[in-house]
Amino acid sequence: MSGAQSAEAIRVMVVDDHPMWRDAVERDLANAGFEVVAVAANGSEALARFPAVRPQVVVLDLQIPAPGGVEVTAEIVRQDSSARVLILSASGEHADVLGAVKAGAVGYLVKSASREELVDAIRRVARGDTVFTAGLAGLVLGEFRRMSEAPSSPRSAEPQLTDRETEVLRMVAKGMTYKQIAQRLVVSHRTVQNHVQNTLGKLQMHNRVQLARYAIEHGLDEE
Amino acid sequence: MTRDAVWSSPAAIDVENRLFRVLAVLRVVVLVNAVALNLYRADNFSHPAALAACIGAMAAWTGVAIWGYAVPRRRTLLLLAADLAVTAALLLATPLVKGPDFNTSVPGFWTMGALLAWAVHYRWAGGLLAGVVLATVDLVVRDDISQTVYGNAFLLMIGGPIVGFMSASVQRMATERDLAERSAAIAAERARLARVVHDGVLQVLALVQRRGRELGGEVTELGRLAGEQERELRSLIREEAAVVSPGHDQALDLVAELGKLERSESVTVAAPATPVEMPATTVGELVRVVRACLDNVAMHVGHDEPAWVLLEAFPDRLELTVRDEGPGIPPGRLEEASTHGRLGVALSIRGRIADLGGSAKLATGSFGTEWEFVVPRRGREVHQ
Repeated sequence: MSGAQSAEAIRVMVVDDHPMWRDAVERDLANAGFEVVAVAANGSEALARFPAVRPQVVVLDLQIPAPGGVEVTAEIVRQDSSARVLILSASGEHADVLGAVKAGAVGYLVKSASREELVDAIRRVARGDTVFTAGLAGLVLGEFRRMSEAPSSPRSAEPQLTDRETEVLRMVAKGMTYKQIAQRLVVSHRTVQNHVQNTLGKLQMHNRVQLARYAIEHGLDEE
Repeated sequence: MTRDAVWSSPAAIDVENRLFRVLAVLRVVVLVNAVALNLYRADNFSHPAALAACIGAMAAWTGVAIWGYAVPRRRTLLLLAADLAVTAALLLATPLVKGPDFNTSVPGFWTMGALLAWAVHYRWAGGLLAGVVLATVDLVVRDDISQTVYGNAFLLMIGGPIVGFMSASVQRMATERDLAERSAAIAAERARLARVVHDGVLQVLALVQRRGRELGGEVTELGRLAGEQERELRSLIREEAAVVSPGHDQALDLVAELGKLERSESVTVAAPATPVEMPATTVGELVRVVRACLDNVAMHVGHDEPAWVLLEAFPDRLELTVRDEGPGIPPGRLEEASTHGRLGVALSIRGRIADLGGSAKLATGSFGTEWEFVVPRRGREVHQ
């Protein structure tokens, strides 16, 4: 595939504490026509360089020296809501992946994914799409189930998925591609993409509401 | 930990230091009290000069004792014996100073300084010994033993061991807490190190796997092996992370167990982030069912063909889905297998699910094969 549309090369920052990986990813991305504007080996480097280089996409390893991937994701999204964070994780620890997605990451890949998958994922998140693996869809489904099960106080309405959103998410979790889902449900590819994006949006919105409520309850909102 | 180690641990010495600091304050208070009472009743004394000497001795010894007990290494048997001897001597001197017929001894409550020092340092046995010595001396020097005198002696006898016992208990608890805190810190640090090491290994394995695929040839095999090891290690980590709460030793985490079936090239397992605890036998059966489905995929679709497992946990039931994108099972094949007496899919999958009180649904066609199992979560409320 020829991705060298240098006129509008996607600006990427790579955050990984493993030099071998950082170099491999950087080289792959450069070959695919992306502009790697910065690399960082840990959370503080990432946060220091992010405002200066303003990448469109941040490829982020979750297990990095403090601040960790979840905090870095939250801070990046807070500074620039148009920045897209794509998680690339080796250990795939469920709680961390879910934490990063709740904090605002829009995609997740395991490190054993192929170069083509990575390049494709970066293109998609840069376009504004979400990159869901079946594993991530399972985590998100489980999280919505957990929230609907939890005894909710009347004032906090837990976010709920519509039946369609649940149906689409289940299909993603069962490994179906957006194209297959669109065919099965007789809707457009874009509609499927929107449903998936909405589920993520609801989860992130709920996370922000929770954080804000926590801050208000604990008097952290008074500067 | 040996008995001696308990008393010489930093935490125990810290407790002792604190007790001796309080005791130093107490010594000053009882000294002021003793001096004031003696001066108030100075006209009772037959030998005012001797009284002055006694008061001087008490004040001087209080100073020596506070200085001496301040540092652990000065708390020797010599110091404690001298403390007890000075106190006993002052008690013995009382009849000489006040005349044989007296009510209150010259040191009075000041005697508790030595008693408590023995109790703090030598625990209940020290408290008892000092109590016995002081009570005996106090009784010996008196002509007649009134109710009050007896009461005081009795208090000395029981107060010493009680304070000694409590001092020992506090020291022991401090030592144990210290030990517990240290082992918790060690365990946390070990877990953190393990995470770092594991993550590093996973990174390298993933890299080898990725490069192996790209380079082709012999290296592909290397990459495949790295992928296998990556999966093994990952499921090991997941197993370690899934802490099954104590009390239900028969419970297993279905998420962790299903995770072991994952193959990075072919099998994907999607599940909730939180553990799904079920009785071990149920978990075993469900894992066998899923494995049977995956074996079918490997046999009829292809060894490296992709398959997906999805676990959804509801309050009252579990839903398990196993899906592949193979050519589907030809109509009649399952029935044919069971009529030929083969232990086919019908028995091994449907039977196991039925035994768990669940239901199995099969959808198959040109789109692939999809098994959907619904299993009730019985007795879940018991665990909560």
